[in-house]
Amino acid sequence: MGLAIFKTYADLRAESARTYVGFLWWIAEPLLSLGVYYIVFELILDRGTENYVAFLFTGLVPWRWLSTTLVHGSGSILFADNLMQQVYLPKVLFPIVAFLTDTFKFLVVFAVLLVFVRISGFPLGWSYLALPLVLLVQGLLVIGVTLIAAGITPFIPDLRVVLENLVRVWLFLSGIFYDVGALSADAQWYFRLNPMTSVIEAYRHILLDGVWPSFAWLSIVTVLALALCALGALLIHRFDYTYPKLANR
Amino acid sequence: MSATAPSPTAPPAGRHQEVLRLENVGVFYNRQGGLFDRKPTRMWALHDVSLTLYKGETLGVIGRNGAGKTSLLKVLTGILKPDRGTMINHGYRAALLSLQVGFVPYLSGRENAILSGLLLGMKRREIDDKMADIVAFAELEELFDEPLGTYSAGMRARLGFSVAVHVDPDVLLIDEVFGVGDADFIRKSRKVMRQKMRSDKTVVLVSHNTREIRQLCDRAVWIHHGKSVCEGPPDEVLRAYQESVRRQRRG
Repeated sequence: MGLAIFKTYADLRAESARTYVGFLWWIAEPLLSLGVYYIVFELILDRGTENYVAFLFTGLVPWRWLSTTLVHGSGSILFADNLMQQVYLPKVLFPIVAFLTDTFKFLVVFAVLLVFVRISGFPLGWSYLALPLVLLVQGLLVIGVTLIAAGITPFIPDLRVVLENLVRVWLFLSGIFYDVGALSADAQWYFRLNPMTSVIEAYRHILLDGVWPSFAWLSIVTVLALALCALGALLIHRFDYTYPKLANR
Repeated sequence: MSATAPSPTAPPAGRHQEVLRLENVGVFYNRQGGLFDRKPTRMWALHDVSLTLYKGETLGVIGRNGAGKTSLLKVLTGILKPDRGTMINHGYRAALLSLQVGFVPYLSGRENAILSGLLLGMKRREIDDKMADIVAFAELEELFDEPLGTYSAGMRARLGFSVAVHVDPDVLLIDEVFGVGDADFIRKSRKVMRQKMRSDKTVVLVSHNTREIRQLCDRAVWIHHGKSVCEGPPDEVLRAYQESVRRQRRG
């Protein structure tokens, strides 16, 4: 564990030292990407309902936690090849470090989002107490999918390209640009198959509406997330001694 | 088969306390083709290796290039698991003396030493305790908090060696007695490795330098085409090895 934490710290330090303004990018980069979606949806497509910016950002910021970790983490074992030829390390370390670094960066942006929501005058209620829970549930989900992607990619490196596009499709299916709750009951049912829909909705309930999230849906997501975590951990454990061999073929 | 696993801290009881043993160990790699050649073929890097390592000894492993020495080291460190045969380890931690593991140019020398030490299996506490020695050995006192990227290749090599040599696992695996850095440090680093082998430390030295094996090892194993051909006193093993090399050159 000490290793995972220090490696995370080292990766974050290295990343911020690599660019001119360093860690400012952790805020600037998400803002730029939010800005792009804002221009497309609010200004060009003029989809703007009231408070559309807040609506968009409360969806996109948590979404980016998933997408950046998944894409970054999927190559984590693949790219750790050099290291695992020199010393035995449990391979689960690499996706965990990827998760921790991206989680840290997400929390920085999430803090900015909270400030933005507060100064925009959205209701502040007891429901904020559920926020850590929602973060935890999403964190588990992010770890789960990242472990699985990281475990498979060393066998099929080409998968990373496919994955980036799948993630983009997933983005459009997660109710980030539109309100799933406003769809017909039938359509909603399909969207509920996607755990991110419920997660994003939970954030919006708390941050924008000032009401409690749906604990029923969050429980379902939790069960799914735990199953994915277990599956991913088993997968990586199963091939712990296979990964170092893959580079030599 | 000995049933009681001695604790790593137990005092050396002669040369007959078994540390680990390989029995008919084989390791293969799958050589996978591209899109048009899907069928993977098994390449056995090790076919049939048996050897025993005793506490406190230095065991030499000799063999020509491609004999399977690197794969053997990976099995001993636990990077690879035998695909056939068994490895019995009586609870000892074996680690390869490897340099600059996980080094990152953007971090300071100190941070790199911590990261590398952790990756090599040291506890944070242990690293902190040894930090003064690591700096002193690497001769980097003034620059230790500067980014590694500003170091010369020689300085980096010194730091890498200094961290690696302070790891101190139960079983130290050395892939050739190498020297790093400038002329003075090459001498110093080789000296430390030799000292470890002459001491009570349990060491496996892999080399194709027969003179070194004869000077430094208590026993030796000859690996040929992934098989252990003979194991015993260095003189005997080396005689057989050199005989074979000579025969091959002639024929």
